[in-house]
Formats: sequence, C-alpha cells, structure tokens
Amino acid sequence: MLKVIDSAVPVACWSCSIGHNDFTLFCPHCSKIQPPPGGDYFSVFGLEPRLNLDLAALEHEFHRLSRKLHPDRFARAQENEREWSLADTALLNDAYRTLKEPLRRTEYLLKLLGAEIGSDAGTEQGGHDKKDLSRVPADLLEEVFELNMQLEEMRMARKLGETDPELQVSLERAKRKFDVLLSEVDQDLRSQWQVWDEGDAAVRKTAQKLMVALLDRRRYLSNLVRDVTETLGA
Amino acid sequence: MAYSDKVIDHYNNPRNVGQLDKASTEVGTGLVGAPECGDVMRLQIRVNSETQVIEEAKFKTFGCGSAIASSSLATEWIKGRTVEDALAIKNTDIVKELSLPPVKIHCSVLAEDAIRAAIGDWKKKNSVAETANAAAVAH
Repeated sequence: MLKVIDSAVPVACWSCSIGHNDFTLFCPHCSKIQPPPGGDYFSVFGLEPRLNLDLAALEHEFHRLSRKLHPDRFARAQENEREWSLADTALLNDAYRTLKEPLRRTEYLLKLLGAEIGSDAGTEQGGHDKKDLSRVPADLLEEVFELNMQLEEMRMARKLGETDPELQVSLERAKRKFDVLLSEVDQDLRSQWQVWDEGDAAVRKTAQKLMVALLDRRRYLSNLVRDVTETLGA
Repeated sequence: MAYSDKVIDHYNNPRNVGQLDKASTEVGTGLVGAPECGDVMRLQIRVNSETQVIEEAKFKTFGCGSAIASSSLATEWIKGRTVEDALAIKNTDIVKELSLPPVKIHCSVLAEDAIRAAIGDWKKKNSVAETANAAAVAH
C-alpha cells in the first residue's frame, strides 16, 4: 500500500505554475516532467520512510516510473525536459537500488535520521568525541580476536605445508557458529523494522540505536564468515 | 590510495608484536574494535608499579596496513613513558607521524582507544584511583 507524503514543500510547476509538493517527478496538474525532486529516496516512490516495504509494489512502481521517465519519450521535448528525464532516471535508479536491498535500506534510513554508520563513521578528525566506544560488546571482540588468531595459525601452517585436522575442525565449528549468529542478527534487525515502522518518536529512537548496534555487529560477523570461508577453502 | 613510507615500514617491520601475560597484575590489556571496517586491535602494557613507567608494550592487530602501523607506532611511543604521559598521546599525533589520509583516521583513533583501554585495565587491576593514591602517599 503506497502512502503519499502530505507534509511536502510546495513548489510552482515550471510549466503550468500551479503549486505542488517538491517530492514529485511529474506535475499532478499538467503531468509535465519536473526537475529531480528534493525529498528522500522513499518519497521518490511516494512512500513514507518505512523499513518493511512491499517489494512487489516497489518494483511495480519502479517500472512504471522508469517507463514514464524514459529519455526516448523526451527525444523531441524541450532541452530542460530532456535533461530532467536523464537526471530523474538516475535518481530513480539510485532510489530503487537502495530501497530494494534490506541492509542498504536500513543503513540509508538510519543515515537519513542522523546515525553514524558504515565507512563514514569516525573518519572526521573531530568525530572522535561523538563516537560511542561501547558500541561493540567486549565478548564479541574477544571472540573475533580469538578466531582471527586461529585463522592466522591455520594460514601459517598451510604455508609450511602442514594440515592440522584439529584446527580445521575448530574452524568449521566456528564458521557454523558465526553463521548462526549472523542469521540471529538479521532476525533481530527484522523485528526492529517492525518496531520502528509502528512506533512513536520515542520508540523509534530506541529502535534506531539498536539497529545501529546490530549493523556494527553484523559487519564484524560477516567479515569473519568471509575470512573463515576463505581460509577453509584455500 | 598509496600508503606513506612510514606506514609501509611499520607494516613490513611491525614493532613489538606479541603478547604479555594477561593475568599478571602488572599487565594492562586493551582490546578494541572499529565497527566501520571490522578491525580488531589488542594492545598490552607492562607497568612498573613503583615508577608508573610502561616498561614493555606489545600489540596484535587484525586489520589494514594503517591499523597495523598505527598500533605499532603507538607501542613504540608509549614504551618508556609514564602512564600519565602515555595518556597524552592523541590520535592526531599518529595521523601526522604516519601521514594518514582522511579515510584512515579511524585507524589512529583505534590506536588511541587501545592505549586508553590498556591503561584503564591496568589501573582497574591495581585499583589506581590516582587521587586516592596521591592522598595515601601524602599521609
């Protein structure tokens, strides 16, 4: 079910001069194409920010808008309309790619709400004070460190032409365990989606914090799973 | 992105790689991580309780070249310093010394965090509340 945003900034259509919200790709009055709108990726699809999305409806809307914006349709239009059809198409593609993928959608929404996540975090010189050092739980760090030690040991042994069956077994056990932890994180993320989508401002704030922590944890776990898989497969 | 010569030097010849006895009361251990990239860093110090001087420092880092160089440099710098002097080291000093690019600044932050965590652990073990200690000496 697509919900239309009602709190948009009104702008005047370049063609018919009637005011409409700044989030729309086409004028609701004269149907003319508009310059790339100023809203977020959700509003490109006429959606409110949400984490549980109807992906079939999203895809359907993406195809519908892609067809309407297609540069071929504007081959004989004014120059500004031709430019906008390219710019709007680029925006639509970025928006769709981000929203259809669950992790990217979650990270995008959290960044939209001001969270520091991913590679942007802590890179500013002045960013240090803002960083919450307790974001990664100590027991996870211990585990990550231990497993890295084991991985290194196994790689060294390989280099020397040895194979230690015990090490192999413990790595396989570790991989299974981290796979399970990874899917638990994904489940937790999904349940926070629900909480955020349905919650009020205070509830949402708590859910946002939890999701940032879950994404951090997930990054460690997926790095580990990747490294263990590589080492086992080498 | 090219690494500076100093980063490459520390990466190829890391100083003070290793491990100290975690259980020893003289040893402080700091284990920190950067969720941005999944790096983990363990930095350990052995402190002389009489002089408060860091007599030994060891590290082990799983991460990129800049993270390894930052922690290697950190152990070099804190060795021979008092605990309080070591706390004065800032991540920006490391950035400058290693000419780290903006995208790698978090590696230096990690090294500074590791120093603080190791010293914090040592203080906790020795229940150093500096002020209380100073008071005890004064009386």
